[in-house]
Amino acid sequence: MALIVVADDEFLLAAMLADILEDEGHETTLASHGHEALERIRTRRPALLITDFMMPIMTGLELAQAIKADQEISDIPIILVSGAQGDIARQHGDLFAEVLDKPYRHADLIAAVERLLPG
Amino acid sequence: MEEFSRIASGIKGLDQILDGGLIKGASYIVQGRPGAGKTILSNQIAFHHAAGGGSVLFVTLLSESHDRLFQALGTLDFFNAQRLGNDISYVSVFQTMREEGLDAVVQLLRRETKRRKATLLVFDGLLNARDRADTDFDVKTFVAEVQGQAAFVGCTVLFLTSASLEETSPEHTMVDGVIEMGDMLAGVRTVRQLQVRKSRGSKALGGLHKFEIDRRGITVYPRIETVFAEAPEACELPSARMSTGLLLLDDLMEGGLPAGSITLVAGPTGSGKTTLGLHFLARGTADEPALHFGFFENEKRLRTKAASLGIALPEPDSSSLTIRNRALGEQLIDRLAHELIDEVQERQVKRLFIDGLGGFERAAVHRDRLLEFFATLTNKLRSLGVTTMATWETREILAPEVHAPFGQVSAVLDNLVLLRQFEENHELRRSISIQKMRESVFDFAPRQYAFAQDGFKIDEGQRVNAKGSAASATAAS
Repeated sequence: MALIVVADDEFLLAAMLADILEDEGHETTLASHGHEALERIRTRRPALLITDFMMPIMTGLELAQAIKADQEISDIPIILVSGAQGDIARQHGDLFAEVLDKPYRHADLIAAVERLLPG
Repeated sequence: MEEFSRIASGIKGLDQILDGGLIKGASYIVQGRPGAGKTILSNQIAFHHAAGGGSVLFVTLLSESHDRLFQALGTLDFFNAQRLGNDISYVSVFQTMREEGLDAVVQLLRRETKRRKATLLVFDGLLNARDRADTDFDVKTFVAEVQGQAAFVGCTVLFLTSASLEETSPEHTMVDGVIEMGDMLAGVRTVRQLQVRKSRGSKALGGLHKFEIDRRGITVYPRIETVFAEAPEACELPSARMSTGLLLLDDLMEGGLPAGSITLVAGPTGSGKTTLGLHFLARGTADEPALHFGFFENEKRLRTKAASLGIALPEPDSSSLTIRNRALGEQLIDRLAHELIDEVQERQVKRLFIDGLGGFERAAVHRDRLLEFFATLTNKLRSLGVTTMATWETREILAPEVHAPFGQVSAVLDNLVLLRQFEENHELRRSISIQKMRESVFDFAPRQYAFAQDGFKIDEGQRVNAKGSAASATAAS
């Protein structure tokens, strides 16, 4: 079981995603914007971050840049799920391990999660 | 008097209604039931604003997910995915409102507006905010704080709500403007309409205005009575004459149609109204461009008809004649009028043939405004200096008498030409007569006419008496 942080301002979608991940045996914690996600990551290091792009206070891109700039957490893999900014995110291949365009199939997300989790 | 600085909505017709656009730094409520068009309207404004260099913050609460919204918007021409996350940002504050309340939402909006240097804030979910508030005072405070901090940085605010808020609601009392969107059933058709119910500091065009949604987004058609308010005295008839295309008819009119006048040609089906119009259009030149605006025949059929009657229309693709055909389907009367006026202005049309006014009548949802509509349309055409010939199909096919198409025709037209068909001694006869010419002398005696190889042929010698019977010119005089 791995801890996964899910960051999305559309909180009901984030909660739904968390349910799916928990059904797969993972532990999740939710954040409604990038800054909140960063705080949670620094409080308790997750194995994986799944984040939206457009969020208030700190975007998914800004969040990823903050994580990569912090040596303590820079190795945490990040999956970006995006409604329309997938192309922008793909230009930052160094930040995101996977980019999934919404709407995505749950099986694709689970497969990406499994690829990125250790062991 | 100091003018407000405004931002263009980018929605054709809406800025006219709003007296020039949205006031910069002002706040508006856009209200209407789900499906009324609020989301498209606000997004169309947002993308237009961003295209002009503005920055947009689009805030949602409990609504469709952003990716589904983008999918839906992706079918519309104005949507540009490249702008997302750059100069248009969509954020949900649902969790902040649920966990921390409206005060926290206000703080978050202030912070985000500043961070993104937003010049347009769209808040989709005023109804949810209202539900979260304990009292009307809380609602007022929320609206006041959001619009206050936005105005401080020159940011215009659109609050979207699916509730039909009353004029006395706390939200209405706070904002600068209220735009209500909705629809109505007219017979079996649904017609979309909007109304500016409040416009602080602006002279908005009041009443209901119809709009349509298609792949271009929303297009609003302001009621022409509110847009074109030229008084008749501003449209004085010039003294010049314009040929009808028929020399004998010109003679009966003492030289032709007064330039810039409106002439109604009324008659039953098959009486030659369109043929008369083709003669009129055939005189179109590059210096005197002609426009056919009709509902019945497309260009190919019109040209075939003209050729069969020996009427030489200007060549296709020439600047001398433009033929526009509108289907008699579910049209909007103001859309037709705006399209007609735009075409006349764009092509500097001098000869206009409308075939016929019945097409406008069929498009009318509110028939009690027809007289005012036609009066406004014709005044506008006069002010544009275009000489107009329009047809009206009378109901009686074979009858010496003709009924006026609507009351108070003098308010609409300058000249009236009647075409009649009647049977006499088992023969079909036709007569043409000039019933009215404003401020002109004319020969009002009916004349027989027929269709010949070179079109509409008026029999100079064959006058017709009041009962329709033919009489010689000598006897009639």
